[in-house]
Parts: sequence; C-alpha cells; structure tokens
Amino acid sequence: MQRMCRMLALCLAAVFIFGLAACDQKPEQKPAAQSAQPAAETKAAPAPAAEKKLKIGFVYVSPVGDAGYSYAHHMGYKAVAALPGVEASYVESVAEGADSERVITNMARKDFDLIFSTSFGFMDPSLKVAKEFPNVKIMHCSGFKTAPNMSNYFGRMYQARYLTGMIAGLMTKKNIIGYVAAFPIPEVIRGINAFTLGARSVNPQAQVRVVWTKTWYDPALEKDAAVSLLDVGADVLTQHQDSPAPQEAAQQRGAYCIGYNSDMSSFAPKANLTSAVWNWAPFYVKTVEEVRNGVWKGGQAIWEGMDKGVVDIAPYGAAVPEDVKAKVEAKRAELKAGKDEIFVGPIKDQSGKERIAAGQKAPDADLLGMTWFVEGIVGTTE
Amino acid sequence: MELEIVVALLAAAVQSGTPVLFATLGEMLSEKGGVLNLGVEGMMSVAALAAFLTSSFTGSPWLGFLAGGLAGAALATLHGVVCVGFLGNQVVSGLALTILGLGLTHFFGTPYIGLAAPGFSKFAVPVLGDLPGLGPILFRQDALVYLSYVLPLLFWFVMRRTSLGLAVTATGEMPAAAAAAGLKPLRLRYLAAVGGGFLVGLGGAYLSLAYTHLWTNGLSAGRGWIAVALVIFAFWRPGRAVVGAYLFGGVMAFQLRLQATGTNLPSSLLLMLPYALTVIVLVLSAWRGQGTDAPAALGVNIEPEG
Amino acid sequence: MAALRVIKRDEPWKGGALVIVLGALAFSLAAAILMLAAQGKSPLLGAQVLWQGTFGHLFALEDALRKAVPIFLCSLGVAVAFRMQVWNIGAEGQFALGAIAATWAALTFPGLPKILLLSFMFLAALAAGGFWAFIPAWLKLRFKVNEIITTLMLNYIAILLLDYLVFGVWKDPSSFGFPMTPEFGPNAILGPIGGTRLHWGLAVCAVAGVGFWAFFRFTILGYELKAGGEGARVARYAGLRYGFLVAFVMIASGALAGLAGCVETSASLGRLQPSIMTGYGYTAIVVAWLARLEPLPIALASFLLALLRVGVENLQLEMQIPAAYGSIMEGLILLTVLAGQFFQTYRLEWRRGE
Repeated sequence: MQRMCRMLALCLAAVFIFGLAACDQKPEQKPAAQSAQPAAETKAAPAPAAEKKLKIGFVYVSPVGDAGYSYAHHMGYKAVAALPGVEASYVESVAEGADSERVITNMARKDFDLIFSTSFGFMDPSLKVAKEFPNVKIMHCSGFKTAPNMSNYFGRMYQARYLTGMIAGLMTKKNIIGYVAAFPIPEVIRGINAFTLGARSVNPQAQVRVVWTKTWYDPALEKDAAVSLLDVGADVLTQHQDSPAPQEAAQQRGAYCIGYNSDMSSFAPKANLTSAVWNWAPFYVKTVEEVRNGVWKGGQAIWEGMDKGVVDIAPYGAAVPEDVKAKVEAKRAELKAGKDEIFVGPIKDQSGKERIAAGQKAPDADLLGMTWFVEGIVGTTE
Repeated sequence: MELEIVVALLAAAVQSGTPVLFATLGEMLSEKGGVLNLGVEGMMSVAALAAFLTSSFTGSPWLGFLAGGLAGAALATLHGVVCVGFLGNQVVSGLALTILGLGLTHFFGTPYIGLAAPGFSKFAVPVLGDLPGLGPILFRQDALVYLSYVLPLLFWFVMRRTSLGLAVTATGEMPAAAAAAGLKPLRLRYLAAVGGGFLVGLGGAYLSLAYTHLWTNGLSAGRGWIAVALVIFAFWRPGRAVVGAYLFGGVMAFQLRLQATGTNLPSSLLLMLPYALTVIVLVLSAWRGQGTDAPAALGVNIEPEG
Repeated sequence: MAALRVIKRDEPWKGGALVIVLGALAFSLAAAILMLAAQGKSPLLGAQVLWQGTFGHLFALEDALRKAVPIFLCSLGVAVAFRMQVWNIGAEGQFALGAIAATWAALTFPGLPKILLLSFMFLAALAAGGFWAFIPAWLKLRFKVNEIITTLMLNYIAILLLDYLVFGVWKDPSSFGFPMTPEFGPNAILGPIGGTRLHWGLAVCAVAGVGFWAFFRFTILGYELKAGGEGARVARYAGLRYGFLVAFVMIASGALAGLAGCVETSASLGRLQPSIMTGYGYTAIVVAWLARLEPLPIALASFLLALLRVGVENLQLEMQIPAAYGSIMEGLILLTVLAGQFFQTYRLEWRRGE
C-alpha cells in the first residue's frame, strides 16, 4: 500500500505539472449551446468575431427535467440561448452551499458576462462571487442581498395564486381545499395565503388545509399527501411542489386540481382547472438586452408581477364553467393592469389577530418575510 | 379521527408499504444466500424506468412489471459478477450500484418525464371487497398488491420447504459446509442475488406502474434504503417483513393525515416518527429475544479454491 | 482440455493496486465517454473538457482540495469503525450533529476570542458526533440491535432535527423567514489560508490524519483494534473489553464525522442551513473502503473523487451534459476498480488437462 501511494503521488505530481503547463489552453471549439436537441452538432459555427458574444450562465438547484421550478427557469434559458450573439450554458443539480459557490465562481472565471443563479440558497455564494469578480453581473432569484454588480429578482407568484384560489373557491362543493406544500418558507406561505384570500373572497366558507411534505420532489410522497387531503374531504387540490403527482391523485379520485410551475393539465386532463405558472422568458431576454446595451443596473431588488408577464395562470381546463372564468378574468385583467390589492387589510391571521390593518397595503418587505397563515387555513407554519 | 379516516389510512398504508415489501423480500433473498446488496435504491430506480418504458411502448402493464423485474435482476447480476465472481467488497459494490443506477435513471429517463403509461388501477375483489373494515383496506387495491399478499407465503415456502431454498440458506450460513455437502455455493449465490434483484425490480416497477402512472425522476426517493433496513428489522423472516413494510408505510401515511386534520405539531418532528418507530420496535423485539442472527456468511465472499 | 483457472498469488501483487486503479479508470472513462457519442456529443471534446476541468487548471485542483476536506474527515471516521468490523453507516447523521453542535457554540458565544471559540466549536462537534454514534453502539451492546439499521435510521432523524432547528428556534430573524441560522461572527469562521481559496480545514485534516495513523501505530489500544476481525472475535470472549472497544470506535468514528460537519459549516458556509447535507457521509463509506481503511490512501481517494466531481461539473458547463452523467461515471469507476482488485490477490492461468 505504501508503494502504491508513492507511485500514485508521483503520477499525480507529474500530471499536475503537465496540467499547469497546459493551464492556459482553452478548449478548441465550444459546441453551440442548443442543449435541447441531443443530436445537435457539437462543432460550433463561430460567428465572424465582429462583436464578442455575450456569455450567459444559468445555475439550477435541481434537474431541469423535473417539469417544475428549474424547468420553468430553463424555458427562459432557451429563449436566451436563441438570441443572436449569445452563448448560453447551464449547470443543473447544484447543491446550495459550497458546490454552488464553486460553480458560480467557475463561470465568473470563464468570463461569463451574466449569471442567473436561480435558487434562494445560492444567495451567499452569489454575493461572494459578485464581490470577487466585479466585472461579472449576477442576477439572483428569490433572495434579498444585492451588490453593485448583483441584483435579486423574483416574481409575484402570489398574484397567480390569488386567481387560482378564486377558481378553487368557486369550484369546491365541500368547501375543503387541499394544499400539498414542500417547505414552510415565506414564498410558499405567501402563496398559500394569497390562494386562501382568493378562495375566501368568492367563498367565505372555504377552508384550506395544508400538508407539508418537507421535500421539493418525491412524487410518491406527494401523492400520499394529496390522498391524505382527499381522505379528509378536500375536493380541490393544489400544490407547491415540483412533481405533478398530486394532480394525478386528484384525477384518480374525481377531484379537481390546480398545478404549479408550468401547465400541468397534461397530467390530469379531466381534473386540472389551471396552473399557476412562471414565464421567465420575457424577463430574461429583457435582462440580457439590458446587459448588451449597457443599461443594466446592479443593486436592484426586482419583484415583477402579472403586469409584466412574469407570472400568470395556464389556460382554463374544460371543467371550468363560463361564469367562473368571467369572474377570474375580471380580476386577472386588474392584476395585469398593475392593480394589486391582494394583501390589503383588514387581514387576520389564524389566531384571529389582525396582522394587516384595514385599508393598509402590506409593504414588500413584510410579504417577503411572511411566516404566518391567514384565517381560513388549517395547518402549521412549521 | 373518525373510523372512515382510519380505514382510509390503513388502506394507504398497505399501498405505501407494497413497493417496499417487494424490495425487502428481494433483498432478503439475496442476503439469505450471503450476498449483501446495498444497491437496492439504484435497482428500484432503474426498474421503475424500465417498467414504465416497456408499458408505454407495448401497452401492457404486466409486460412492464416483468421488465422491471428483469432490470433489477440485470443490475443484481452486475453486482454478483463483481462480488461473487471478482470477490469485490459487497458493501462498496452495492453503494456503487446505487450511484450507477440513480445516474442511469436520470440520464436516460429525463426525455420521458411527464409521459403517462398504462398502469395498474385499483379494483375490488368480489365479496371480500365488501367486508366491513378489512374490505376497503385489503381488498380494494390493485392487482400487484394482491400479488404481494401471496409473495411472503411463497417466499417462506420456497426457502423452508424446497431443497433449492434450503440450499440457498445453507450457502448463506456456511458456504464451505454447503460445498462439502455437494452443493455449488457460487451458483447458489448468483441465484440468490439475481432472484433477489428480480423481486427488488418488481418493487421499483410498482412505483411507476401502480403508485403513480407517470414517469418522473426520483420515484424511489429513499425507499431502497428503507428496504435494506427492513430486512434487518424483519430478522430475515418474510412474515416480519410484511409487518415492517406496512408499519413503515402506515406511520408515514399517519403523519400526513395528522397534518391534514390539523395539528400543531411541527412537521419535522412528525416526519421522524417512522424512523424512530423502526428503531424502537427493533429494540423491543431484540429485548424480548425474538432476534435471529444474520446469515453467518453474509457479506463474506467465497474464496475460490487455490 | 485447456481451462482458465484462478490461482491465488503467493503474495499480493505489489504495484498492482496502481495498475488496477489506472486500468479501471481508463476503462470506465472510455466507456463513459463513448456514451457521450451515443448522445450525439463529441467524445473527444468530452475528454478534453473533462481534462480541463480536473487537471487543466490550478483552480480545479484547489476546488477539489476544498471539496475533499469533509469527505476525508468522514472517511477517516468510517475507517475507524470499519477496522473493527463495526458497520457505521451513520456518518451522514453524525456529520449533521457536528454541524448542529458547532452552530450552537458559534451562536451562543460569539464574543469569545477566535482560538477559544473555534476550539470550543470543535469540541462540541466531536462530542455531539460521538454521542450520536454512541446511541447505536449502546443499542448494539445492550440489545444486540444491528448497527447498520440503527445508524441508518439515525441519519434520517439527524437531518430532520437539523431542519427543525433551522426552520424554528435558530432561524435568522433577518433572513426573511428562510431556513438558515444567522451568519456566524468572524471569530467562528475557519478562514482561508493566506491568499488562496483553501481554508484551514486542511490543517484539521492533516492533524486528524496524522493522529489516526499515530494512534493505530503507536498505542496498545490501536494495536488491539487493528487486529481487527480476529481480534474482535477473541475479544468477544473477554466480554467487557469487546463492549468497550465497540463503544470506543463508534464514538471516535462519530466524532470525526462530527468534526467534518463543524469544519464544513464554519469554513464553507458560515452559517447552518439544510443544504449543508450533500451526502458526504455515504461517499465516505465508498472512499474508506476503496482506500483499504488506510489514512494516506483515504486522502488520495478523497481528493481524486472530489476532483472527478469537479471535472464533471465542467462537462455540464461546457457541453450541457446532464448532471446524472457524473453518477454513471462514478458508479462505473467504482465497480471496475472493485472488480480489478481481484487481480491483486489472484491471477488467471491457462491450464491444460485437469
């Protein structure tokens, strides 16, 4: 064993020295980053280098194939990758923490111009890299820290949730609506709250029951959670999870369901009413153009809503009757016009205490840090 | 909770425990022959994909179910070759198999995410399905669950009452003695490992054909590891495997329902229940002397004759 | 009739280990890279990008060193227990407990001077990890409960405990409700070495590694433990002694994994959050065994594995190859190395006749 180690160490040393010597070489031809088609050519067709291509990087916390959160961002990536003069690439399944710091740093080292780090847990690493590489621009999703070359951004998904809540409230007969949720973090809680406010705005008897799965992605467990809600009488389900399993559970039991992240109707064609969806493509394209034209500003906290098209609801399912559609469309038009009065008081929490005073609109900071449930929700926030 | 909810809970427990039961019995078979296979998680995953794709392309869920078993057997064969053939360390080989299996599943399965395939649906057994209480719990499930009722009996019968089963058990306890008695320990080990892999694969197939009818990545979600633990919990006896699988599935279903009916207990603590309970029951059983030792030659490779 | 026969070598093939590892590596990498071709990507480019991502840059080596630190410490811990055939699968949970204890120390005593606070954090982590491993040890000795299952179950419980704390009482009031503790003060951070990206966790590794080696080489207890399988069976008859030995190795094993948790929390993250759990405890089992439970090979194996993972990330970045590809490569490499190790002890020969 000792000899093996010595020999291996010698080999490593030799390789290390060789590697250092080869250090400055860049890989010859980079493939065009059209990653969607695996059969695509791998030789780049380099544009005549009249202008340098913008290098855009995306970092995802989960695999893109999950039809969920990262998938939604990935649709934005595809739009960006299709832009002229842009070289886009992505890394998926990056664990938050040390791994993400390495990945983002590597992108910075490779002279990426703009990096989208799409998960909350990438916040501290993104900030570190922003400080170390002042020429890189970083857009961090769902966080709260900024730097001169780093902005954070998110979408007002709660607006879409409010609309889906209205639909649920109008479609439920037993007045019990089930919510399969992953982790009790503010964005999830906020979504549940908006959903409940929406449901009770059209149906004051409606009650929302929450089950926490403590996982973003475990289809079988999510299905179990959905079934447990169906068993206590829920006849409409929705979710803050990345797999469509709860949709399937609802359809099997003849209940209705509302999806999340992307249009989930294909998983439950009879039961699905709509989904609360992200639409990152326009926002990402806009950001890239800002960088290209030199007008991008760091240090911003960007939180765009339905009026800018970042969030919306998917097309209505066949089961949604016209009068329900009409009510929801009316509200949707309001939101699209920029009128957001979802978190305007009086709003009480589960214990009956008033949290938002009458006529007051909750400031963004309160929304971003929301950790309490509104009246009408059965469940804990832990 | 009302009776209705309790019945629904137990029915969910049965369904939740079924894939784990298949996998536990599979691992148990492998270990009875002396081959420890920690690759169950990877095997279930690959099997789920194979089952799904086969069912999707052929339109037959039963063919899919079979394909899942074969996929599990294939990976187990790999493990067998490395351990029984090349005397590789069984613990590491199994772990490597998990890593490989999960990787293969994600790599090849991603294009199919979101597709549906024909699967197994629940149906009621005539007469039995209408029994009060037991009817909905045991007899309004899908065909594979009914199959899983028979499996532990079959397992017990084969292992205890057939010469093949006894030969496998002997190999797992004392391969040298088995060889001296004229048996072929290496072949028996392969048989145990591959047969076990087949059963594990069936468990994986259940996940994509019956539990859900869609393909999504990550279906196994740790159930393979639970199966490994349950084999030990069951003291290598099929009857206890049933208890373990349903207990585990039941507690998991229970904590979900507890949340659904509205509780103030933090969900992290509730989620600990199945794992803590497994340890507690294990301790109690051992304390009352119900323990059986592991097959004596478990994990120990058989050296070839010099 | 000629047949291929398996002959045991009179003594293990020296230098064979290296040939086997390199051979297995070559085989697996070739197979993996050919898989790229099946997906329409250029194998040659893949090989080049992988090279670039591993040995091609100083950064990759630095990154790999950083990533190797928790793997190394956990592997040492696993090795201690495995040497006595006590199957500690619980390094993951012990890692979590170490992280929790270190966080408690860092948050409760932020004002202590740096050396004192860090030492206290280390001690707390060692104690917590050791305690978490002691539970299955006690269950094994008192109730004869198999440690594989108890350590595995405790992993899940430990992670849930971490979740509970970070979502609850330890949540940073200024984190907008996200599950993370407040950032550690500067005195609780294990900082970088000079101007490099490496941190002092490497020093901890060096001390732990040397300590491990010295313990087994120079102490009587170490000798007893190293006697391993046989010794354990003999010791079993001595009753009391066996129990003591089992408890000792488990506590030491858990302590080392706990130390890894402390180092990772302090040096890499600077606060506690659920994403600290990335499976080091399980990786450690693989590394420890491949390295034959010896400290220097463990160090090498940890580094090489970390390097492979870093290189695969580069494949993702440059060629949009899915993350799962890395797992396939790792699995293949492990299996072929395992199979290849066969040839250290045996050789094949054509024999004529019977």
